[in-house]
Amino acid sequence: MLEIDHITFSYARRRVLDDITFDVAPGEIVALTGPNGAGKTTLLKLLACLLMQDSGAVRLDAVNPLLRPLRYRRGIGYLSEHCPLYSEMTVEAYLTYRVRLKGERSLRVRRRVSEALEMCGLEAVAKTRVRLLSHGYRKRVGLADALIMHPKLLLLDDILAGLDVAQRRKAAAVLSAASARAAVLVSGHEIHEMMGWCTRFVVLNRGRVVAMYRTGDHQRAELARLLDRHMQAETEGTP
Amino acid sequence: MTAVQVTWLREVRAFRGAFSCGVPVAAFLAACGWTFVMMLRRNEGSVLQIQSVWGLSIAPWLPILSAVLTMRLFAEERSTGMIDLLMASPIRERDLVIGKFLSAMTVMAATLVFSMAVPVLALPLLSAPVQGTVHAVAFLATFIILFLQASAWCAAGTLVSVFFRNQAAAAVSSLVLCSGAPMVVYMAVLAWVPSLRADVAWMPLLVHVYDFSTGLFSTSVIALYVTATVFFLFGCSKLLACLRLRG
Repeated sequence: MLEIDHITFSYARRRVLDDITFDVAPGEIVALTGPNGAGKTTLLKLLACLLMQDSGAVRLDAVNPLLRPLRYRRGIGYLSEHCPLYSEMTVEAYLTYRVRLKGERSLRVRRRVSEALEMCGLEAVAKTRVRLLSHGYRKRVGLADALIMHPKLLLLDDILAGLDVAQRRKAAAVLSAASARAAVLVSGHEIHEMMGWCTRFVVLNRGRVVAMYRTGDHQRAELARLLDRHMQAETEGTP
Repeated sequence: MTAVQVTWLREVRAFRGAFSCGVPVAAFLAACGWTFVMMLRRNEGSVLQIQSVWGLSIAPWLPILSAVLTMRLFAEERSTGMIDLLMASPIRERDLVIGKFLSAMTVMAATLVFSMAVPVLALPLLSAPVQGTVHAVAFLATFIILFLQASAWCAAGTLVSVFFRNQAAAAVSSLVLCSGAPMVVYMAVLAWVPSLRADVAWMPLLVHVYDFSTGLFSTSVIALYVTATVFFLFGCSKLLACLRLRG
């Protein structure tokens, strides 16, 4: 489904991503982890077409975003780190606007919006203005926006940050359900929680892939120890 | 609905509830009213027709209103981070730019229509005599040139707002581009070629308004403003595309 092939990216002269290569298959939930500044957000931005790589290629079902950008972007759902929303709109109006902007036919708009509201548990706040929502609910609205067109690839940056335990469980349940028909790529530092529902961990450090672990190949405690060791070593090594 | 329509509709709704729309429009109408009255008094007994006075009292304020209306179009998206979600959506940059530009032009057109109330209200209050017969077509011609000028200013303001996250900085820069740059060019021309002073006593942009209001249509003037609008909008969509290169 998603192929990332020797991606390199630099900000000015500073190399942020260096020869990144891995695939994500449908049904997989891949966690991108690593210390701050490892390149997680940059990689997700690149996959969301917000940045353009210096070299290498990205393909989603053989669609190259540089050659067929609209078709590629039709296949992705993206939630950025800060989860921006139009605060003056109600949740329902915001999602309706986003569905229409993504090109859905008028007849299907209502159905899409009600599906997304239900999937993310937002029915109770559908008529509430976004500015009145808590951080957790705002994240859920952002997630609903990313999921609303049933994309082939979900890109979620720091999805668990700032959520309480109940909201994290809810987000995990939504992602597990979404992975039935999409490949999911999430970034974050909450490795112990992500172990419960991610199928693979990709560890980045200084723009390089330093390790990859399938959750099915390891005992939970062993995987936690491996990931913790990477995080500690990398944090100590990061200037 | 197309992406242009969806963007236009959202922006028009945002304008409706925005402090940065109602107050500037009211201030613009007040400034136009004041200029109109001052011009009437100053030109008492002259041959200036009422639609010319109306057009000439509005044209100098258009760049300011355009700068204020367009400052939030992209600067707000950039400051809130919504630009990322828009750019990751399956829409073309040009659709986004056109939708936002048309929303500013909708507000501008409505303001110009409202400003027609200025002569209707001011003339009876001042008991000023009207030169000749007032024709609706003459007002329409003046409206067209004002609309064309406004479209060029709004397109420039839309382009400038892509550069900034701060709306005030976008407004000031847009004002410098729309108002300051033509003024500087004009002054420079007069300084270097003083013999032109008699021929171009007015700012050329005001001459365009005067010519149209007196029935002197010029396709080259229309082409100038349309070209400027298309140029700025094209630049804006390309600039958005360039944001992908380095974020």
